[in-house]
Formats: sequence, C-alpha cells, structure tokens
Amino acid sequence: MLEMKKLKKSFGDIEVLRDIDLRLEKGKVLVIVGPSGSGKTTLLRCINLLETPTEGEMTVGDLQLTFSPGTKLRKIDILELRQRTGMVFQSYNLFPHRTAVENVMEGLITVKKADKHESRSLAMEMLRKVGLEEKAEAYPYQLSGGQQQRVGIARAIAMDPDLLLFDEPTSALDPELVGEVLNVMKALAAEGRTMVVVTHEMKFAADVADTVVFMDNGRIVERGTPDEVFRQSANERTKAFLSRVSGTEPPVQATF
Amino acid sequence: MTDKQIQIFMDSLLPLLKAAVAFTIPLAIISFVLGLLVALLTALARLSSFKPLVWLAQFYVWIIRGTPLLVQLFIIFYGLPKVGIIIDPFPAAVIGFTLSVGAYGSETIRAAILSIPKGQWEACYSLGMTYWQALKRAVLPQAARVATPTLASSFISLVKDTSLAATITVTEMFQVSQQITAAQYEPLLLYSEAALIYLVISSVLSYGQARLEKHFDRYTAR
Ligand SMILES: Nc1ncnc2c1ncn2[C@@H]1O[C@H](COP(=O)(O)OP(=O)(O)OP(=O)(O)O)[C@@H](O)[C@H]1O
Ligand SMILES: [Mg+2]
Repeated sequence: MLEMKKLKKSFGDIEVLRDIDLRLEKGKVLVIVGPSGSGKTTLLRCINLLETPTEGEMTVGDLQLTFSPGTKLRKIDILELRQRTGMVFQSYNLFPHRTAVENVMEGLITVKKADKHESRSLAMEMLRKVGLEEKAEAYPYQLSGGQQQRVGIARAIAMDPDLLLFDEPTSALDPELVGEVLNVMKALAAEGRTMVVVTHEMKFAADVADTVVFMDNGRIVERGTPDEVFRQSANERTKAFLSRVSGTEPPVQATF
Repeated sequence: MTDKQIQIFMDSLLPLLKAAVAFTIPLAIISFVLGLLVALLTALARLSSFKPLVWLAQFYVWIIRGTPLLVQLFIIFYGLPKVGIIIDPFPAAVIGFTLSVGAYGSETIRAAILSIPKGQWEACYSLGMTYWQALKRAVLPQAARVATPTLASSFISLVKDTSLAATITVTEMFQVSQQITAAQYEPLLLYSEAALIYLVISSVLSYGQARLEKHFDRYTAR
C-alpha cells in the first residue's frame, strides 16, 4: 500500500529526512514515535505531498512517484495521491465557517463532485460513525476539542481514502478528551483501514500498531512490533525516549 | 431660514436626489464591484510565486496609492484625449474609481488572505482540492469576513469621493448642487443639503455593514 525508498527531505541546507525506507501493507497500522524535531510530521506530510520529498521514491497503491531536485511533480499525480490519502491534523483544521456536517461534505462536493443530497447522507453516516450525529448542525466553535477532532476524522474517512494519516491527533486535547478520539481510531483500525499514526500515546501504539518505527534525527533508527520496540529495544536512544514519555524507566532492563 | 430659502431647499431636493440615483449611486456601485474584482486579482498576483506578476501588481498599487485620485481623474479625462483616447465622463470616472478601489482593496484582501491559517489550505489540499478550489471554498469566505469592515469603510469613502467626478463634468449630485448654487446664490444652504444627502446614504451603508458583520459572526464565538 505504501512504500518509500531512500526518501530524503531537506529544507534548504537542513536535512530533515535521511534515507527513509518504509513499507506498509494494506490493512496495517504503522505508528511513528520519536523525539520532537526528529522529522515525524515531515515524513507524514511527504506521504500526501504537503511537503515534496527532495529525493527518493514513493509508491502509494499503484501510484509510483520518483523525486529528484529540480523536477516538478505533475499536478494530476499530486491531486490523485491526495484523493487516496486522508489526513487528520493535530490542530483539527476544521473549516470554521461550515457546520460539522458541511465540513464532512466539503470534499465530497468539491473534489468528488457528488451531489448535495448524497453528500449529506454520506456525511451523516460518517458522523454517526464517530458518534456525532446529533452535532451535525453545530459550528466548530460550538464543539469540544475531542468532538472537533472526531469531525476531522469523519471528514477524512468520508473521502474513502486508501490510507489515513494522523499527526498527533490527540496532543492538542485535554487529557479527558483523548480517549474518545483514540476509541474512534481503534475502531477504524479494527475495520481494516490502513493507517499511519504519529503519536505519543504509547498505550494506543502498543494496542493498535502492527509496526512501530522510532525516528531520531531524520532517520528510522528502529522498527518492529510494539513489543519489540517498546519492551525489547536495545537501542539507547529508544530507551531514553521511552522512559521520558512514559515517565518511568524502560520496562525491561538488561539484567545480567 | 426664510420662506424663500425653504422654497429653494424643497425645489432642489428632487434634482439632487435624481442626480444621486442616476449618477452618484451607480458610479459608486459599479466602481466598487469592478474595483473589488481588480483588488482580488491584484491581491492574488501579489501572493503568487511568479515574480513578474508580483512586480506588476506592486507597480500598479505603487502608482495609484502614490498619486492623488483627483489628478488620476484629470489624466484619464483631460489627459488621455491628447494621445487619442477619448472617454466619456461617466466611464472615465468609473475607470478612475475602479483603479483606486482596486489598489487600496488589494492590500486589504491580501492581508485578509494572509490572516487565514495555513492549516485551512492544508485541510483543503489534503482532501484533494486544487489551489482555486481551496481559495473559493475555504480561504475567501473566511477572508471576506476579515476584510469586510475595511472594505465597507472604503465603499462609504467611495460614495463621498464620487463628488470628485464633478470636476470631470459628470452630473452627479455635487455637480448638480453647484449648478443650482450658480443660479440661486445660496451656497451654504445648497451644499449643506448635498452634504445631508451624502450623510443619509453613508448612514444606510453603515447600517448595512453592521448587518453584514453580524451575518459573518454566526460562526464565531462572541
Ligand atoms: N517548513 C520548514 N522549514 C524549515 N525547517 C522545517 C520546516 N518544517 C520542519 N522543519 C524542521 O524539520 C525538523 C523536523 O520537523 P518535524 O516537524 O517533522 O518534527 P516532528 O518529529 O514532527 O516534531 P514534533 O514532535 O515536535 O512535532 C525540525 O528541525 C524542524 O525545525
Ligand atoms: Mg510533529
């Protein structure tokens, strides 16, 4: 479903992603963890081309793209790729001038050219899925953060993307609202959606991820099942990071 | 006021209102609508990544903002015939005011577009929208709200500025008040009467502005 080969991204002279190799099968969930500034957001944004990789190759479904400095991507490839991916943002980025249901309808009407009636009923179905049917006519400012983020998820899945991208979807939320969003995400994973999730929610990662990658300084320094990365890592950086986010020592210390 | 003055006031009310309806108001509305279009295109040109377009827009704004509107009107109406371009008074005034609204309005619209968070563009792009779709569906509707108070003020200014068209022989309201004054020798009375009508029009527009702002406020927390 998703494959990256030797993907690089620089902003000017700063190399933010260095030789990223990544594979994700259909129906699997990939969780990206790593310290601040390690390039997680950039990696995610490269997948739907909100950032253009500097070099390397990327395949999403049957769409294959090669990047090299100085060559421009074709517009239709960019639009095609973005239709196949849905993104959920840390700061929700809902359209403030549209109600919840209109937010979900927006892509259907503007991009898929669906008619208004069909769009509305599909959007209502999506809102039902995230448990917000009764908030359909509310404007974003009338919703809690958790509700806004669930609308954001409904907006993304309404387009029926092959791949869902989440950039720290719960880190702007009050702690008591995190659960409702994670539950929706768990349900999506259980439905067999292909997802790439950047998060600091280690419990969620351990429960839902098929693969966890740990990024540091623009590289993937470790990858494996949640168990391999969270419990059995021998990598000092990974262990240091995990102890910081969990606030405890790494669970399994080498004791010989 | 003497009876004679009251009589003059009443007699001139109809011609003044006629001039307002036939010239002042259409001049303001046509120039403003066209001016907004020019302003939007100029704002987008300034925000584009294609440098020549940016320079062209900057040059236009620089010229219009750096010279008096009255002088611009004179150039268009009295100056251009010298190079064979002859324009009737009313269209000449429309051109002058349109260029003016376009230049000042472009700054307002540009600032309003820039005030919309990048996340709004990205939300559109992530759904698969093009630049123009994102602009039309998400950015401009929100920018309109930001720009409304300033643009409404410039529309009210424009209504008053149409009096400058008197100098290029457009028979708008102020021009008519001058004509009547020339016959009646009551400058204080007649110019005050014209001022009063401008005041009424401006007040109606201010009310409209308040309504419009309220309409936009429906999606924001107070
Ligand atoms: N548009 C940009 N221009 C220049 N540098 C950038 C840009 N975007 C990101 N960077 C830099 O790239 C590096 C990686 O940023 P990125 O946002 O991908 O990190 P992150 O892992 O998501 O961090 P966080 O956990 O804080 O969200 C940082 O050093 C950042 O300063
Ligand atoms: Mg980030």
